Order: sequence, then C-alpha cells, then structure tokens
Amino acid sequence: MLLPDHQYVRVDSLKDCLKSLRENGERTHVVAGGTDVIFNMRLRLFQPDIALSIRRIAEIKQVEELADGGLRIGAGCRLVDLAENALINERYPAFADSIRAVASSHIRNIATLGGNICLKTRCWYTNNSEQWRQGVKECFKTDGDLCHVIKSSSLCHAINNADTPLPLIVLGAVLTLQREGESRDVPIADFYQKDGMDHTVLKADELVTHVTLPPCADRTVFLKIAARKGMDFSQAAIAARASGTGTKAGEVSLVLGSISMAPIVLHEPARLIAEQGITDAAIEQAEEKVRAELGELTSLYARAGYKAHLAKVLVRRALKALREM
Amino acid sequence: MAKHLISLTINGDTYEDLVVSDNQTLLDVIRGEVGLKGTKRGCTTGACGVCTVNDANGDAILSCMTHVLEWDGEAITTIEGLADTSDLDAIQKAFVHYGAVQCGSCTPGVIMSAKALLNTHPQPTEEQINEAMAGVLCRCTGHVKVKEAIRNAHRIEEVVSHAAGD
Amino acid sequence: MPPEIKPQVPKDNPGLTVVGQRQPRLDGADKVSGRSVFTDDVVLPGMLYGKILRSTHAHARIKRLDTSKAEALPGVKAVVTAAHATGMSANSTDSVAKASKRRTGKTIKLKTGETIFADDVVTYIGEEIAAVAALDEATATKALELIEVEYEPLPAIMDSRRAVRAGAPQVNEEFPGNVWSQDIDNYGDPDTAFDEADFIMESKFEAGVTHNLYAEFHVALVDFSRPDKLKIWTPTQTSYLMQHSLAPAFGLSVNQVQIIHLNTGGAFSGRGAVRPHHYVAVLLSRETRRPVKVFSAGDEEFLIGRALGKNRYKTRVAADKDGTLRAFDMTCEMDGGAVGNEVGYFGWMAGLSNAWMFDLQGNRFQRKVILTNQRPNFLGHGGMMVSSNCAVQQLLAKVARSLDMDPMDLLLKNAVEQGHTGLSGEVFASCGLKECIETVRRESGWDDKYDKLPPYHGIGVAVGAMAAGAKGAFKHDTSAAMVRVGEDGLITVYTGIPDMGQGTHTTMAMIAAEVLGIDANDVQLVAGDTDLTPIDIGAFAQRGTITTGNAARNAAIDARDQLAVYAAEKLETSVDNLRFAHGQVSRVDDPQQSLPFKEVTWGTLNSMEGRFVMGRGFYNSPLPYGTTSWSFDAQVAEVIVDPETGQIDVLKVTVAHDLGRTINPLAVEGQIDGQVFSAMSQVIYEELVTDDGLFLNPSRLEYKMPRTYEMPEIAHFMIESNDPYGPFGAKEVGEGPVVVAGAAIIAAVSNALGGTLMPEMPMTPMRVLKAIRASELEKSQSQSAA
Repeated sequence: MLLPDHQYVRVDSLKDCLKSLRENGERTHVVAGGTDVIFNMRLRLFQPDIALSIRRIAEIKQVEELADGGLRIGAGCRLVDLAENALINERYPAFADSIRAVASSHIRNIATLGGNICLKTRCWYTNNSEQWRQGVKECFKTDGDLCHVIKSSSLCHAINNADTPLPLIVLGAVLTLQREGESRDVPIADFYQKDGMDHTVLKADELVTHVTLPPCADRTVFLKIAARKGMDFSQAAIAARASGTGTKAGEVSLVLGSISMAPIVLHEPARLIAEQGITDAAIEQAEEKVRAELGELTSLYARAGYKAHLAKVLVRRALKALREM
Repeated sequence: MAKHLISLTINGDTYEDLVVSDNQTLLDVIRGEVGLKGTKRGCTTGACGVCTVNDANGDAILSCMTHVLEWDGEAITTIEGLADTSDLDAIQKAFVHYGAVQCGSCTPGVIMSAKALLNTHPQPTEEQINEAMAGVLCRCTGHVKVKEAIRNAHRIEEVVSHAAGD
Repeated sequence: MPPEIKPQVPKDNPGLTVVGQRQPRLDGADKVSGRSVFTDDVVLPGMLYGKILRSTHAHARIKRLDTSKAEALPGVKAVVTAAHATGMSANSTDSVAKASKRRTGKTIKLKTGETIFADDVVTYIGEEIAAVAALDEATATKALELIEVEYEPLPAIMDSRRAVRAGAPQVNEEFPGNVWSQDIDNYGDPDTAFDEADFIMESKFEAGVTHNLYAEFHVALVDFSRPDKLKIWTPTQTSYLMQHSLAPAFGLSVNQVQIIHLNTGGAFSGRGAVRPHHYVAVLLSRETRRPVKVFSAGDEEFLIGRALGKNRYKTRVAADKDGTLRAFDMTCEMDGGAVGNEVGYFGWMAGLSNAWMFDLQGNRFQRKVILTNQRPNFLGHGGMMVSSNCAVQQLLAKVARSLDMDPMDLLLKNAVEQGHTGLSGEVFASCGLKECIETVRRESGWDDKYDKLPPYHGIGVAVGAMAAGAKGAFKHDTSAAMVRVGEDGLITVYTGIPDMGQGTHTTMAMIAAEVLGIDANDVQLVAGDTDLTPIDIGAFAQRGTITTGNAARNAAIDARDQLAVYAAEKLETSVDNLRFAHGQVSRVDDPQQSLPFKEVTWGTLNSMEGRFVMGRGFYNSPLPYGTTSWSFDAQVAEVIVDPETGQIDVLKVTVAHDLGRTINPLAVEGQIDGQVFSAMSQVIYEELVTDDGLFLNPSRLEYKMPRTYEMPEIAHFMIESNDPYGPFGAKEVGEGPVVVAGAAIIAAVSNALGGTLMPEMPMTPMRVLKAIRASELEKSQSQSAA
C-alpha cells in the first residue's frame, strides 16, 4: 500500500507553520511524528493535499519549568523524551506512566505529545484498507451517513484511544492552540467532543503548540488495561487524582478513556469519594455509579459489556492505589 | 507528482541526489531507489517492526511510518550497516549463537530494535528488553531466544570463544 | 506387526560427535546481516507488478464485469479474469483423497473445481475476480479501481449451525444442505466401551477462526516469459506439490515448472498448497511474457491466508471408576468455508491423534464439514489437533477430579508404551510418554502445587502424540538427497526440503557431517530450487527429520563408502575397518593409524584414474502405508487468572518431549519455544472477529498474538527414546509440542477456576469472566446441594 499522492511541506519555524495552515489548513494534515497520520494516509482515511511536517520546529520541542512549579511542554516533544524527563517523572508521575503506556517503544521514538493528544479516533469498520472497505457501506468516516457500531446513531462512535490526555485532564492541563496572529488557551477537559468525526475543537488552521501543567501536590495514578502489554491501544484506561492522605480525600477526579468517543469525566463517583473518603464502602458505592455516566457503549475492539465492567474495575483499582499513596 | 532530490546517508554511504517523491516513505526508498533489501516490508502500519532502522542517535525507527523527505540530509543505519566489513556486530553474533533466528523474515527489524536498546543499555534489564522489543512481531521464536541473545550480547565474545573451546 | 528393526545407533552410548551438539544455524550469519533474500526482495529485469481484485461480497452474482477502462490505463500490461483461466482448477492436494481412500477405505471429498477466479458467482469476501499487471504498483492499484463490477447480492450463510438448517442459502449447489462431507470413523469397539464403562462424561468445546500470521506475507514472483519454462519464486512448504499442481494447469510437464523458495518467512501449516494468487501470477506472466510479482499487502493477507475455521466439538469419554479410560467419542462440526477442500481430512487426523496416547478400547470420531460463505479454511499451526486436544485433555482432568484422582496418575495409568499397537493398527516402535509425564511432574513441582495453589492460580497437565511422516497421505513419502564431496573436504548437501525457519537445513548438514565425521560448518546446503534439488515432498506432516533426514544420512553413507576405498588402501585395511570421526579417518582396530578427512577427499578426487564422489540417498517409509514413528509429549502449565479483568498470565510451561534423539538441542529448544508461544497465542489471543463474513481485525495490530511481556518461562526436557526408524533415532519436534501446550494452558486455566471447563478458545477476557461466573454458580449449587 503506497501513500496517496500529496505534497510534503516542511516548516522549520512556528511562524511558517501557522502561515501555511492559514493558507492551506483545510487541505493539510500536520505531521509531527507521523505515526497516526501516515497510518491513516496509508489506509486512505486521510487524503490531504499537503502533509505539513513540523518535526523540526524547535519552539515546540522544549520542556520549561514555570515559576509556580508547573511545567510548559512543547507539543512537538517526542514521547520517548518526555517519558525519560526527570521533571515530569518527579512532578507528574501518572502523566509519565501514561506516556510510557502509549503504543510501543518504536512508536514512542518518533510520536509526539501533540500527536497523541490529537490522535484520530479509531474504528475497525474503517481502519482497514480501501479495498477492504468496499465490503462495507460508507459511514461517517468515509463520506457516508451512518455509524456501523450504533446503526441508529447520528454520530460517529469511533473510539478516542489516546492515553496521555487522561492524566492531563485530572491535572487540569491547558492546551495552547495557535493560529497565525492569535493564540488561545483551552483546558484539555474542554478540548474533546463526543463525536468520532469531529473529536476535538481544534480548527483546521490551528496547531496545538504547548501543554501547560499547573503544579500538583495531590496523589495521582494512571492505569491501563490492554490486550497485551507494551504495544496495544487501551481497552480501557483511567487517570485519578485525590488530595489528602490515606482515606481522606478533599478533592477527587476520575477520568476514563478508550471506551467512548471522548474521555469521560466521572462526576458522581468522584463526588461520592470526596464526601465519604476512600473507604471500601465508598469505593463500592462509587463503582455502582460508574455505568450511568458512561453513556451508550459500543462493541468496538472489545464488547460493550466488557468495557462497562473494566470501567468499574479501573475505578476500584485507581481509588485503592490512591489510598495507598 | 513532483520529484525531489535529497541526500541520505545510509550506513556511512552518502547517497547524493536521490530522486524521490512526496508520498514515499523511508522504507520505500531504502528498498527501492537505494536497493538495500535487508530492511523488510511488513504491515506498513506500525504494528510489526520488521522495517526498523536506527536513526543517527541510534534510536529504533519504523521506516514505514515516516516520509523519506523527512530524512533529507540525515543519516541512518540499516541491518546491512551493523557489521563492519570483517566481523558481525555483537548483537548479530549473539542472535546466531543463541538461536534467536529462525525463518529470518522479522530478524533484521528485530536486530535493529535490539541494537537500539543496547546503544543506551548495554546490559538491559528484563523490563527494558520487554519494553524495547514489544513492538516487533515474531512467531517462530516466541521471543524467548531473542531475549536471551539480547541479555548476553555484551559478553558474546567471551561466550563464543568459550564455546569454541579456547 | 512391522518387521523387527534395529535402531541405527545404540540408545545410551551412540558414539555421536556432531548429533547432539548445539549447532547455530548455517544460514544464521546471512539472516542477521540482511543478506538472506526473500521473494519480495527479488527484482527481475522487466518485472511487472500484479494486483488482484477481490470480491467485496460474501455471496453474489457478478452481473457485469468490465475491465476495459483498466486495460486502457497507460502502464497496464494485462488484465486477466475467469475467461483467461477456463477449465483451470486451483486444486491442491488431490492425491490426499486418493491416498486416504487407500488407507481407510473411505472417500474424502475434495472439490476438484475450485476456480482461479470467480466465474459468475462469488462465494466469499476476498475471492479473486480479476487481476492486473502494470509497470509499477501505483498503476496496478489505480487499474483495480477502474475495473467495474456489478453485483447482485445473494443470501449468504455465515454460521455453520445455520447453514445446515432447512431453507438455508446454498453455498454450492453441488452440495445440498451445505454439507460438504460427513464421516464416521470407528476404531476398536467404542460401542461396547460406552455400554460397559462405569461412567461417561462429556463436554462441548469451540475454537474460533484464525490466521497463521507468519512474518512474511503471501507473495509470488513468476517468470513465464518462455513458454516451456515456468519459474516461480515463492515462500512454500512444498515445491513438489506446487510443481504437480501447476504443471497440468498450464500444459507443462512437472520439471518444466521450477520452484524457487529462497527463504520462507514462516509457514505454520499455512503454506502447504498452491493458492489462487500463485495461479494468478502465472496467468499474468503468461499474458505479458514478463516477470510479474504479486504481493499481498496488509489486510489482503488475512482474506487469503487460509487457516482454521470455526470448529465445534462434542466430546464424550467412557471410563471406569479405577481410572481406566475406555473410549472417546468426538463429534465435530467444521466450518469449511466456501470451499471444503482438505478440512475433513484434517479433522480425521485430529480424531485419530486424540487417542494415540492412551490404551483404549475404542475411539469414534464423527465429523461434518459444512460450507458457509466464509473464507475457505485450511490448517493452523498444529492443525485441528490443538483444539481437539484442548477439548479432550480438559475433560480428562475433570474425569480425574470426579474420581478424586491426580490427573498425572490418570494419564500415567492409561499411557501407552513402546510396542503398543493402537486402535487403527499403528505400532509405536519407540515411546517415551510415561517418561515425559514423570519428567514434567517432577520438574514442574506438580505434587507441591496441584490443588494447593491459591484461588485463580492454576496448574494443568496435558499429553499428546504426533505422527512423523506423510506416508498414507500420499502414494509415497519420498525424500532424496545428494552429497557432493569437494576435493578440499567441503561437502555440499542437495535437498528439496524447504526451511521455513525450523532449521531443517542445518539438521541435514549435521546428519551428513555425523556420517562423514566432519564439522557441520564444513557442510553447505543447496536447497530451495527444484532445478537443482532432488525429489522431496515437502516440509509438513513432521517428515523433515525422519524422512529427509534418513535420505541425507543414506546419501552421506553412500559418499562415505566411496571415500572409504581410497582410505582403506592408504591405511592398508578393509573398508569396514574404518571410522570417520573428528575430521579423521582411522582404523577401528588401530585408531592411531589415521588420515585427515581432507587428505582422503583430496586423494580420492585427485587420483590418476580420475574420480567423482556424489553420494545418493533416498528414504521412503518401509511400511505399505502409515507412519512408522510418533513423538510423545507431556507439558505442565501454570497460570494466574485475573478475576477482575479476565486476563490470563501464563507463568511457566514445562515441556518434556520424546523426540527420539536430539539432533540439535539449540534448534529443538527454539522449536519448543515457538510452539509454546503459538499454542498460547491460539488458546488465549488469536481470533479473527467477523461481521457477516467480513474480518474486522485483519491486521498485525488487532489480530492479537503475544509479544515479549506475555511470554512465560519455558523449561525444556528432551526425552530420547531412540526410534528404530529415525536417523540416529530421531523422530520429530515440528508440531508435537504445539498440540500439547495449548491443552496444558487451558487445563491450567480450568484448574485456576476450580475445575470449570473452559468451553471456548481463544480464552478472551470476556469468556474467562463468563467462565468465572459459571464456576461460582457451580460452587454455590454444590454448596446448597450439600
């Protein structure tokens, strides 16, 4: 399978990049590491006129310490570098764990943080070759108007499989999105949309340039369940955070990923734990509140019932892990 | 589609004026224009690792997942460049000695992945080996002797000479 | 009873110098350097690129097929369709049917009319419809898009259970009711056994659809530019069957077809036949008179890589209260896919092999091959024996539990021994089964663990047997070899057996080196080219070591006898007073008197009269039909099941394999490792998920196989029973371990769940959770009953 015809354009500065996006954003795909873009191009799911390479933009490849004790991380940083970064490991261990959990070391050697944050949603009715897809009706992803996994749906239910956004959400990270002459900060919690097609608020002429992490003294944890260790997308993953120590937890946040079109922030279970503390009884009650917040689940990559089950298991495990910290 | 002239250094040899197109990957050019066939064409979607080469830092790179134009002016190492003219590299010797090679179809990518690991961790832990090698597919060996070869690559000269009865 | 035959070497003091040594692969340095050439690496002058248009419907009539736009595309050199392959059949192993009839008196139906391209009707997704050859891959791909196909969808049937119901859509009108074949084999007296046994236990078991997932995708490069010579580069397990299938299809004689299998990137029983893509490449090359390469990219591989289909077993075992196993009765519904072909035969082998390990009164195997609109099925690694053994061995553990007996004791009580005659007349001339069982019992720490492990931590045992050799599947089971002696003492072995990674070429070199008393590194192989190599049926049915190995040994003996003439003259003795060992030829009665081997070869080949030394040898089982030798195997697996996620962690697998004699321990360990991996992969991970005949996970990412983290510790023990037929006593280690490892793992999981039978493989986390719920229910029911 050759890549489809397109023009490769390389920019070496953020300025050039944003200029190019302003001019051609609608017909461009940004290539940072390229692992997700080339995969999608190979399958003709992306057929951009332009592949815009940003790998050499130095401005988005730094990790800076902030005065408040937080970090500002360039979206162009390779995952492998971030996984080994001492500051990240020290201040945001759950985030570091999520980085190491992404795909395989081969992929992490070239894939970037920005790429993982923007990872295209996945569906096994589309993520195969063009010839294979002749065997199924066109769906939202292939210029049709149906979803194979939930036939009655008016939305694409492809899965958001990115791991790193989950701890970023519990940490309250803010994304910097830039377009030529303009910059906006979007909390990563507001970056994702429950739509497999239009899964982020990123505009065609914008680039995610930085991730800003506020300081965090709370306990945090990231857990991932996948078919195999060391190379797979998650079947379900969780990031959790709690203030306090032991069973005492003033503020709690729980975010599930890889079971829906967007990360799912669990409100009721978090509130319950915040009120009652991380006790066995509260955990049990919290688990019971999980399913109601998951919405409609699909059997993409794993059965819907299994995903619902894993969600509960992960909530339990994450809370118990926090309690031990 | 437009053609471009690029320069690419492979195994120390600089190929000036390689004619490539926008939609070619590094793998396409290594196997096609350059004609080095040791790097294998596998899934071309990042899941099997048989196309792995090393970049100038010695990192394992999936050559199927990156535009060749990205590599203009850069240097890479392929399986053919691991051994010097007279002798195999330690990891290659270890693969032969420990029986880590069977059908050989995944072997170039497996070895380039292992080499990348050993570049930074000459005596890797079990966890480091598992992590570095989880991205490659191999049905023949079940990864068992591959791991053994990687564990012992640092002392392969000693092992081989001992086995030969020296 | 076969004639009493003496082993080639004594069991305990065989005096071997090469056999038994850890010999690295002779092609190892090439393979680690990127020098080894695989088919996709070959580029011929003027080569074109072929692409195949495949059906996107599971069942449909082709109303219109228009290739004119594709033909008109610049750069397209040929477009072929069914019209170019009229009367041609893609039949692979017709001889299996004939031989099976000879052997069993039963006819096994093989469709002789599987076409190269769908003509009129397509019966599965992926079926070949047309193909193009173009100057480059991009043009070929573009040309495929220009071919217009109009389908009229027909009702399709995807599930073999529904396919046999009244009114189900018909896949092939020649097979009413979608039943391809239906057979019952009775060995011994199962009826009496089931009537008289103290009790009967039964179970159901299902195995899912798989792919062999070798590292090298399907590829064929064909040069048919000369009408009298057809050259094919392709990975294969059998150049012999390829020649015999392709020659008649293209009006050639067998040796006008040259098969070049440089290196084969894994096979695992998946490359034992000619497939449509081979014929397609030949047609394209014939049309263009240029070389054409057809490479299957990505998910296409999963559409055409024929492996195991859905198999559903019902197993009954008759036993007595003292633990005597009396009989098995297994029924299997096999999904043959759109073409049943050899599937019924493979089922028969599974039914036979279930019983080989035990001294039974009867064994019955009923099988029905059902047609569906799924991909045509074939074999997985270990054939159907992996799944059938999973069904049987779990049930035996349950039998033991019901008798309050340790499964090890049950297996030992019923295990066969050397000299045993099986129910279908097979005689085990060597058998180390009991030693295998005792070894794994000891080495796995079984007695300290069985029923003493914490909850969800389990241990399981399984046994198996594997026939070595293909006599009976074909008229003969011949392998030949030639051993050329160079004047410098370097030896060349010519063999037609493919090395798909299993290391058989190095084995052949070691066998020749052993006979000639030289270092295996002084032997080179000429292989993988039918123009150069002598007859060899191929690398399947575990025939490499025993059949080709004996051929190589015989050829080396022939060469040695020729060299002995010169040596005897020089050492002033008779030819039978010579020993070839350690690079020397010495007198047996006076070992001090010796000549370097290289001096003997130099002297022989530089004589006044002129000589040439080429040893010839062949081997074919001395029995009229059937196998001479069986390997035996026992394994213990230890697992931990995560009751929350349903995931299984295999901790350790202990393997004891009776391979007769270890030729190359390094290669044997590698074979065992790979088979434990493959079995574990099959019983826990591998499954093609289908939706209406469409595979949803046809990729190396989503079709799961274990990787580094998942691999357990593996302990290998080689049991040497010194088979009288095998070269130096060797039998096989090609598929014996794979059919046991899976069953041991599944038994361990069942044990971890308190003895609940696992009803399905692969044991995906969902299914494990279901089984846990079933086990909890069983427990609560038995408690409330108590």
